[in-house]
Amino acid sequence: MWVDLAITLVKILFIFAITVGFFAPVLTWVERKQSALMQDRIGANRADIMGFTVLGLFHIIADALKMFTKEDFIPDGANKVLHTISPIIALVPALLTFAVVPFGGQYTLFDKEVNLVISDLDVGLLFVFAIASLATYGYVIAGWSSNNNWSLLGSMRTASQMISYEVTMGLTIIGVLMVYGSMKLTEIGAIQENFWMWGVFLQPVGFFMFLTASIAENKRIPFDAPEAESELVAGYFTEYSGLKFGMFFMAEFIEMVTIGAIMTILFLGAWHIPFLTTATLLSWFDFLGTTGSNLVVMLIHLGVFFAKVVFFIYLQMVIRWTLPRFRYDQIMKLGWKILLPLSLANILVTGLVILALN
Amino acid sequence: MAYYVNRTIKMTWWERSYIPEIIKGMWLTSKRFFYNLFGFIPFFLGTEKDRRIMTVYYPEEQVQYPIAYRGRPVLAQNEDGQPACVACGLCEIACPAYCIDIVPAENTGKQNQYERWPDVFNIDYAICIFCGNCEEACPEEAIFMSDDCEISMLDRKQMLYTKEQLLTPVADLQKRIEFTRNMYAKWNY
Repeated sequence: MWVDLAITLVKILFIFAITVGFFAPVLTWVERKQSALMQDRIGANRADIMGFTVLGLFHIIADALKMFTKEDFIPDGANKVLHTISPIIALVPALLTFAVVPFGGQYTLFDKEVNLVISDLDVGLLFVFAIASLATYGYVIAGWSSNNNWSLLGSMRTASQMISYEVTMGLTIIGVLMVYGSMKLTEIGAIQENFWMWGVFLQPVGFFMFLTASIAENKRIPFDAPEAESELVAGYFTEYSGLKFGMFFMAEFIEMVTIGAIMTILFLGAWHIPFLTTATLLSWFDFLGTTGSNLVVMLIHLGVFFAKVVFFIYLQMVIRWTLPRFRYDQIMKLGWKILLPLSLANILVTGLVILALN
Repeated sequence: MAYYVNRTIKMTWWERSYIPEIIKGMWLTSKRFFYNLFGFIPFFLGTEKDRRIMTVYYPEEQVQYPIAYRGRPVLAQNEDGQPACVACGLCEIACPAYCIDIVPAENTGKQNQYERWPDVFNIDYAICIFCGNCEEACPEEAIFMSDDCEISMLDRKQMLYTKEQLLTPVADLQKRIEFTRNMYAKWNY
């Protein structure tokens, strides 16, 4: 029992280290540097320690220092309690979804089954969506409690956009559920050991719709009407400063990782390498013994999984720096008039195909 | 007159489906991204980076301003160290911002080859608007706009430049002198 607890704790620490400790800070750097390279600029490289800039990586430290030392400002007439807790409400769901996200398969280490997921829920996929939609409260409360017109407008836009695109997201997921017949994310991942069972091939339309809807959920650029700088100053976090603003910022980047992870599991074969089953991999490293070979395969699978996540993050960033912002009515039109009927049609077609194949 | 934007552009079905156009745009940005990313590799091998950077890494790198650029006005200094200025005061009058302050000095003993020279010649860059009127008004080719625009200071009083600070050898100003001769046709009356 103590061993199980220890293993779970290690997994939780690993997830925290990889999201809060690695992805969230590094992505702030990646976003600047990638946009700079795309636009033929040099990019952030001014922060230096003793003359060394290390490609601008010290900007992460500079950013963190700046956020820690800035004044924590609460505007006059703002609801102090709600203003303080709303960044927490926004950040926690982003971290919490990782509880059910598997980042590897099952391995036998020292005669012990290790499942690389913190909590293997039977309704894992539902849990992800239930928790992810809770983040909306954080954004809405943030805008409402700031006592600022821009914030309120931003939070109202957030609410309507999140509700619109969650419908599409949910309906797209139904297609995936019909194909795999399971809500357990580990099972969905395990099925995709066969290359031709990857979600991209079984649900190509669903893949694109899920990508669109999840970028809209994350409020990144083609869909960033809630925080549109040129219209609403900064949207719902106009009145936030210091580490509270940093939490909103972090929530956005961690959500990017979450989206990448969920999309990897649902559509891009989770932790599997194409045409290479786990059994084959294990047989390659047979000379290391059971524990050794399992350990090596586990590390390979972890690497593959996070490589795929990084690919999705790259994709989101390319989209963010390529497209201009949609108008608000265009976002609503795309959500309700195009994506919703398409996702319904996707369910119909998927159902018909499954019926025909049976 | 009201200005109307034509919003009834007929798009083909291919364009309206939007996704191919998105992929086209992403292809372009990705191309630039990977070109610049892999162009960075030679840096680790010790050779020149192969990137198409459009920006200038400012304080370390500087661009050559075009000769028509109007930076801070400077005073031309002849080869013998004297200012070319004869303290006629035309620039003082031409200056719309009243930033030039001249106190003339005259030769009395006829020993010096110069008859008049400025005893005090101050330009307050905090007031100067860099219009170039002084340069145009000068009959003696003595005041010129240089290409130096880095005149930010922490104290306003430091921005008042005296004659000694303003003097610049004529040799450094040759290009600008040529330019003003063409520009204002000063010697072609």
